[in-house]
Amino acid sequence: MSNRQDPVWRFLLPSFLFIGVFSLYPIIESFRLSLYRMILTMPWLGAKFVGWENYWDLATDPVARGSFFTSVLFVAVTTPIEVLIGLAMALVLNESFRGRGWLRAIVLIPWAVPTVVSSQMWRFIFNDRYGLFNYLIFGSATQHYWAPLAEPGLALMAIMLADIWKTSSFAGLILLAGLQGIPGELYEAANIDGATTWQKFRHVTLPLLKPALLLALLFRTIDALKVFDLVFVMTQGGPADTTNILQFYGYKKIFAEGMIGYGSAIAVAVFAISLLLSILYLRVSGSGIIRREPAL
Amino acid sequence: MSGEAAAQTQLRFVTWRSETTRVFQQIIADFETSHPGIKVVQEVGPSSSTEFHDLVSQKLRNRDSEMDVFFMDVVWPAEFAAAGWALPLDGFFARSAQNAFLDAPIRANSYAGHIYGVPMFVDAGMLYYRKDLLAKYQLRPPDTWPELVRQARLVISQERDPYLTGYSAQFKQYEGLVCNMMEFILSNGGTLWDEQRLISTVQTTKAMEAVRFVRDDIVRLIANRGILAYQEPESLALFTQGRAVFHRNWPYAWEASNDPGQSKVAGKVGVMPLPAFSGQKSAATLGGWQLAISRFSRHAQLAWEFVQFMTSSETQKRIALGTGRAPARKDLYHDPEILKRSPQFQSQFETFTLATPRPRTPVYLPLSNILQRYFSSAIAIADSNIEELARSAARDMDRALDLLRDGRKL
Repeated sequence: MSNRQDPVWRFLLPSFLFIGVFSLYPIIESFRLSLYRMILTMPWLGAKFVGWENYWDLATDPVARGSFFTSVLFVAVTTPIEVLIGLAMALVLNESFRGRGWLRAIVLIPWAVPTVVSSQMWRFIFNDRYGLFNYLIFGSATQHYWAPLAEPGLALMAIMLADIWKTSSFAGLILLAGLQGIPGELYEAANIDGATTWQKFRHVTLPLLKPALLLALLFRTIDALKVFDLVFVMTQGGPADTTNILQFYGYKKIFAEGMIGYGSAIAVAVFAISLLLSILYLRVSGSGIIRREPAL
Repeated sequence: MSGEAAAQTQLRFVTWRSETTRVFQQIIADFETSHPGIKVVQEVGPSSSTEFHDLVSQKLRNRDSEMDVFFMDVVWPAEFAAAGWALPLDGFFARSAQNAFLDAPIRANSYAGHIYGVPMFVDAGMLYYRKDLLAKYQLRPPDTWPELVRQARLVISQERDPYLTGYSAQFKQYEGLVCNMMEFILSNGGTLWDEQRLISTVQTTKAMEAVRFVRDDIVRLIANRGILAYQEPESLALFTQGRAVFHRNWPYAWEASNDPGQSKVAGKVGVMPLPAFSGQKSAATLGGWQLAISRFSRHAQLAWEFVQFMTSSETQKRIALGTGRAPARKDLYHDPEILKRSPQFQSQFETFTLATPRPRTPVYLPLSNILQRYFSSAIAIADSNIEELARSAARDMDRALDLLRDGRKL
């Protein structure tokens, strides 16, 4: 912090306004709505203030509990895998070789494709009759073909696979930026000390990559918690409700059933979980992500 | 209505993308010619009913006065009526005029003594079967579900075709699953709910028996697992590719499966009412589309003229001839030209008159989501505890229906 009388707030105002209008206001409004019982299709009930009742219902709703665990499972499986694959991508793309520029652009393609389009593509891939997935595994032995999106035990995994395919390169991008911030002298010094490749990775790369790793984990966790389009296009929550993640459940409550109050409570719960996880990550990383002193 | 006669009035008609856009465009152009001063602007929404519902209900929720006329799925009238979104048409659409339409869709468009839509097309679940395969094994089309299962198993075991499956239908967790399962339950003498007492009946023995039959006999014995992820297009593709003996679908499947350009079984297809359980009557879920007028429209009178034109005998005939969709007016089922183009209407007429609407209540969508979850869990898992799932679904349904009792004014 400097002591100069810079009108700092003038420079910050535009971003504050932006965040206020597009983030803060919707969050506060959702929270306000979540304290009411308001059902669009039954306007005669009016908007009745019910305090925490929606949250109490949410805590005791077995479907919401199922959705919560589905979401947690989704995040717990996809996030670490995406960051690991991203790390492998970043390590490769950080080396210098011919065609690196092309490769860097190519690995970003899955991330650049709109999710609705890629979800539709994965839905075709997993089709039980003409899907590429079955063809690759079983060839023309069609009697063995699986129907991954029809099996309660497989549908969520199919969606996880689609998510990992799509977003690993995003984690890779963040980690690549992190790798490029590591000064080359450190590796020179390690070479002089006779360090092996593994030792260099373990004692130079990894510790210095920690802030970027945590950032990638944080982004992926929040994003995975909010996953919606994959489920919407691929399964609509089925079969046997096994892919009914919390975000999709909330969407159905608000937009299909018109339960504004209860649906808002679900939205606020998803937000609260993201917030808690973010705080947790920031705590774990110490001052790794946000530093007061000038960054590297 | 000041100055409307002089200036051109715009009517906004919210519709979905039709397979035969040209037929509709021609009809709308003719309406504009015969009604100078009115211009109809079409707004085309998504063709999936669920997504179209989100679009239309959002406009109504926002009291959008731009939208005048819109397509309404057969399950929405109660919801749109209770919410005060659809204009009651009693003043325009007299009882005597209603009598010209099939009863089932008229009943579906009525709520609490008022009428909210004019039926345009009618849909009902029916059974398609492979005439050639049944003839090959000297089988008569099945009257009962157990018979259908026996025949399917026989054909599959004799044909030795790894591609062939016995039954193709819509068992994905979505609205279509409710339509399919309701047909099984009703044709076993069961029901989904008690309309008078506003309570669920899915936990009754008859209803649970039908669900157990679907799990143990249909899904386990004669269908492929993929059926649990099928909506209409995938299930139809299986049938038109010659890979299913029996197929449940709406009337449009007739045209599709008999079109040599897209079907390998053209000319080998039979259609009949769905089977029942022994001693019970066949049941078909009513589907279809109506025209409704928004309560927030500023041109209700002109909107009605448009609706009347679109649902007139002449227009419905043109649409039936142009698209092959089943009209909602009774007399058209005796029209020689229509019967020449679509001879199957003759035998389907009975199914249309007997078709059952899904529960008519403003809480239909919550009920449907509960039922979708229940049915999918019950049939997708081989050792599902149907009693417990049904009890829990019934509890959730009762809770949703309780909302109607609470400060109920209808």
